[in-house]
Amino acid sequence: MSAAQISVGDVVPALDRTITLPDMVAYAGATWDWHRLHYDPAYLAQKKLPAPVVDGQLFGALLAEQLQDWLGPAAVLRRLHFRFKNLVFAGETVRCTATVAVVDAVGGGTLVTVTSQVDVLGTQGRIAVAPAGAEVLIRTDLGGAGTVAP
Amino acid sequence: MVLLTDELRARIGETRVYVAPEALSRASIRYYAVAVGDDNALYTDTDAARAAGLLDVMAPPTLLADTNQYLLGERDTDGFAGHSWGLDVPNSRTVRGGNDYIFHRPAHPDDVVTVTWRLIDMAERTTSGGMAMMIVTSRAEFTDQRGEPVLSNTETIIYTELPGAAT
Repeated sequence: MSAAQISVGDVVPALDRTITLPDMVAYAGATWDWHRLHYDPAYLAQKKLPAPVVDGQLFGALLAEQLQDWLGPAAVLRRLHFRFKNLVFAGETVRCTATVAVVDAVGGGTLVTVTSQVDVLGTQGRIAVAPAGAEVLIRTDLGGAGTVAP
Repeated sequence: MVLLTDELRARIGETRVYVAPEALSRASIRYYAVAVGDDNALYTDTDAARAAGLLDVMAPPTLLADTNQYLLGERDTDGFAGHSWGLDVPNSRTVRGGNDYIFHRPAHPDDVVTVTWRLIDMAERTTSGGMAMMIVTSRAEFTDQRGEPVLSNTETIIYTELPGAAT
């Protein structure tokens, strides 16, 4: 996706992901976060929670993935922000959606600002994450040594 | 019921500094990419990363903010070994409020990060249901071994009064 093809109001292709307990165990390991909230039935029963709780920061990773996949390797994420609305539980499917809000010419390329949201799909549908948003720089010159790396 | 006591308020401005015991590493980057289900070649394929103007593979942008790899702490009774202020807030429970990440540059396998956490604010509100609620805002600044900024993570944790708690 080149910057010239992007306009305000464009809808970013949605990203759907079912988050199973094994996915959550893998995420807990990969982030060195062994909080029992994410896998331990005895702990969850004590806290009166129905199922293991998905680590909310995972949704940040999905929002980043959605934008990087859409915009390609010339895109560099500059900012990502999100607020949690409802807990998401093991086995649920979420959908990340995003819309282009601002397109600005800046030094080094084009800065694209999007507004995003994460919803839980299915009969227990609800908002997981909102408001959320991101700023992504689409670099004009990939060969510009030092533009994104030290 | 007051959650934000003078004793807690006095802690605003506290900082904690953690220095990672080793470089981030390619293995940690690949583990995270696999765990979140992101198969982007920029995270695992050096040639693809170089073609995109990077010196080496990069970490998925959110990795540094999510991982506790830089910490050497022990697990608490919840199993958690990440950064915590250890705030004592009786008759309350906590939920994540949100995060705001500023990416100064992509992180790479050879980055050895120093993380400085600062407790920047605590504020008390009342929920629509009339319960006390306290919003704690912290910021983690990640720098590399040259002292250059890599990532800023501002996060909020919300403490809410438990129903039926003594007033």
